[in-house]
Amino acid sequence: MRRTLKLAPLVAAAMVLAACGGGDDGGSTDGGGAAAAGEPTAGGEVTVLEDAAFAGSWPAGLDPATNTTGGSNIAINQAIFGGLFLLKADDDGSNAEVTPNQAESYEFSDDGLTFTVKLRDGIQFSDGTPLDAEAVKFNWDRDLSNPCTCKPSWPLAPNGVSVVDPLTVQLQFTRPYAAILASFPASNVNWIASPTALQKAGPDAFAITPVGAGPFTVVSNQLSSSVVLEKNPNYFKEGLPYLDKLTFQSIGGDQPAYQALQAGQAQAYEGLNTTPLLQQAQKNDQLQVTVQPATSPYVIQLNTAIAPFNDAKAREAIYRATDFEAINKGIFGGIYDVSQSFTGPGGKFYEPTVEGYPEYDLDKAKQLVKEVGGITIRLGTISNYVATQINTALQTQWQEAGIKVEINDYQLAGVIQEFTGGKWQAMLQTAGAWDPAAGVGVGFRFHSGVPYSGVNDPALDKLLDDAAATLDEGQRADLYKQAGELIAKNAYAPFGLAFAPANLAVQGVHGPGLTTKIPPILVNAGVIWDEVWREQ
Amino acid sequence: MTTAALPRVPGDRDPRVSPLRRVTGSPALRLVGKRLLMAIPIMLGVTILTFWVLSLIPGNAAQQLLGAEASPEDVAQLEEQLGLNESGVSRYLSWLGNALHGDLGNSLVSRQPVSEILADRLPVTGELVLLAFVVSLLLAIPVALLAAHKPNGLMDRISMMISTLGLSVANYVLALLLVLVFAVTLGWLPAIGYVPLSDGLWANLKTMILPSAAIGLPLFCFYTRFLRGDLVDQLQQEEYVTTARAKGVGSWQVLLRHAFRNSSFGLITVVGLNLGALIGGTVIIEQIFALPGVGQMLLQAINTRDFVVVQAAVVIFALVAVLANLVVDLMYAVLDPRIRYGSR
Repeated sequence: MRRTLKLAPLVAAAMVLAACGGGDDGGSTDGGGAAAAGEPTAGGEVTVLEDAAFAGSWPAGLDPATNTTGGSNIAINQAIFGGLFLLKADDDGSNAEVTPNQAESYEFSDDGLTFTVKLRDGIQFSDGTPLDAEAVKFNWDRDLSNPCTCKPSWPLAPNGVSVVDPLTVQLQFTRPYAAILASFPASNVNWIASPTALQKAGPDAFAITPVGAGPFTVVSNQLSSSVVLEKNPNYFKEGLPYLDKLTFQSIGGDQPAYQALQAGQAQAYEGLNTTPLLQQAQKNDQLQVTVQPATSPYVIQLNTAIAPFNDAKAREAIYRATDFEAINKGIFGGIYDVSQSFTGPGGKFYEPTVEGYPEYDLDKAKQLVKEVGGITIRLGTISNYVATQINTALQTQWQEAGIKVEINDYQLAGVIQEFTGGKWQAMLQTAGAWDPAAGVGVGFRFHSGVPYSGVNDPALDKLLDDAAATLDEGQRADLYKQAGELIAKNAYAPFGLAFAPANLAVQGVHGPGLTTKIPPILVNAGVIWDEVWREQ
Repeated sequence: MTTAALPRVPGDRDPRVSPLRRVTGSPALRLVGKRLLMAIPIMLGVTILTFWVLSLIPGNAAQQLLGAEASPEDVAQLEEQLGLNESGVSRYLSWLGNALHGDLGNSLVSRQPVSEILADRLPVTGELVLLAFVVSLLLAIPVALLAAHKPNGLMDRISMMISTLGLSVANYVLALLLVLVFAVTLGWLPAIGYVPLSDGLWANLKTMILPSAAIGLPLFCFYTRFLRGDLVDQLQQEEYVTTARAKGVGSWQVLLRHAFRNSSFGLITVVGLNLGALIGGTVIIEQIFALPGVGQMLLQAINTRDFVVVQAAVVIFALVAVLANLVVDLMYAVLDPRIRYGSR
């Protein structure tokens, strides 16, 4: 999860003001906003707030190839470019599936080495030029040659992108890669920009006013401040989008966003994660609260390369001293699920329990601490509300078992420095994604070759690599189950709360992913903007 | 009798001095020139310090932009694209060379010319600071005068209470409280957003009232307490007040024409010194009210380690501080005819 600056004092202020946040006490509409939605009507406008520390920051512009924060700006990208594929789900978040959107279909070769995408005929960019196979190849070549948080890590063969016919584009891999489909919805290869418009405007101007074939076109864009969009008259879906105008407005955190919604200055907010505000919002009958199905549980990464966690007993002591259920109930009112593996309830291959997982046992923890001659460690995390709350609770729990803990929270650069320095001992992070092989998946925290992993285990590497390569979903599930068990057996890293941020929307606004549940591929759910509508 | 034989009286113009020399020889102009010359090493020092401090913060623009998930290869590639593989000294000197020619460069991250970014954002912050500054001062002076007129009276106690309260609350908390009351509960003013002046004065002011109040109210409280304290000191301890009273001058006249004039020196000094804090306050306030100003830009630039944009913002802020102090010095001379800078 990428989080940059968080205005820490604002969180404190949020806590103070949460109790007096106004709003009427009514029934919670948690996730139920779409139930009473009725028939969609066209027209109107919606302003969506995005946290300046994450999705509300697009300092490098909105060209998918050069938008270095594209992985955070999924909402804006999806509104401007649509997407070759979209993750869709039932209203309750179940049966989530990557479905073709601007693509018509896809096909894997039997050996898993070729992935072919067939495009819908007749789609035009908003400048009137065709979205065809050449345009897709042009975009993919640019995407893959530029650094981006949202660049997919495909095992692509040399010259692996080819145009088969005007509507068919093909990828060749060096090894089977079944996870490619799940990698699309949150990556820059999904957002196809108009090559003609790019060449005409030049890359710098195009990054400010990009042209795509999505439901909306760009009217104005002030970087990391606001982007104003209007309905694309050339949109390929009849009758869509419903909205005439859509504005994304960056805002300095959860509390100002919550108040702006109450004051009527905006109609939606993506990514609320301050728990007291979430609880307040659930009692506010002006708002619809949709807590997305969690896909990325927290994990306490242990650095198995250095003491004390190069000793399996010390690692098990941490497992035995950790009671995430108590943290969930005590601090977060029991609103999150607790996971024993790298999948959350909204993700693929979810296993709530793992065989052989060393569960909380304080006496055993004390005994293990004694056996290893005492444990003194540093526990770090990235600065955000939930993570720092969890670390404070862990410090208390571990001290009961005789483990001495110093806790630190860092800005993003500090976390990177800790990992690359190699001297870190324990780090609270999130692991996994909707598909464990996609995005910042499980490999990012557990694969030997990754600088952000605390584990060096060839057997685990093989399980994860095989799972990413296999086409058969049943086999993949089995391989991930084995990986979960191997992590538990070796006590590599205890898992915790499966946390996902919530979306807020005022009454009368409806849309998939905004007022219904769609599992987040990475952090925020991918809202289907062309279907978002507002009661007139 | 010739004019040359007449004795010259102070204030007469010396006919031997050319008009140009009279202008350049003006003490006020000499002060301005001296201060502007002094600004050069100050600005150099500030930019070097900013560059050095930025280099101490872990991570560079490439690392910040790509985040924790980036591969080392991607980070290295972006570093090369952004020119971050060059040494810090060479990057600073290259920036300085361009800046001296009036080119503040392009943002490392967005590639937009910094001058264009500033042209978009300066009016927002300028208006915010100006409104906060003017309103706080215009309110503080009458309230302090009323409070000082009867020390420990009702007005004094009320103003003291409000001032203490205002000084105890951080501006970001005050901002959220103001939004809660005036935007959420009463619905009188917008909670976020900015409407440019070109879209109408009232529409623009509506978006600026709460942000400028969030910055201006603590200032108002500070100015009120400061001025009230100084006025009371003047009234109770200074002999010229006793003299004036002995002459039968009314209490309001003593306060307004004598004590206030003397106290205004301290107030002007404090106002000049506070300008830095005032501008600093915009960083958080613009974030809360989603105002697209320089403060918001600065915060984003620091987060992305975009040193070109940070430098530009710091140069602007430092220049404003230098000019503000110059104006304060000039105002001393206006208020007190005995002060003549540079006169021998």
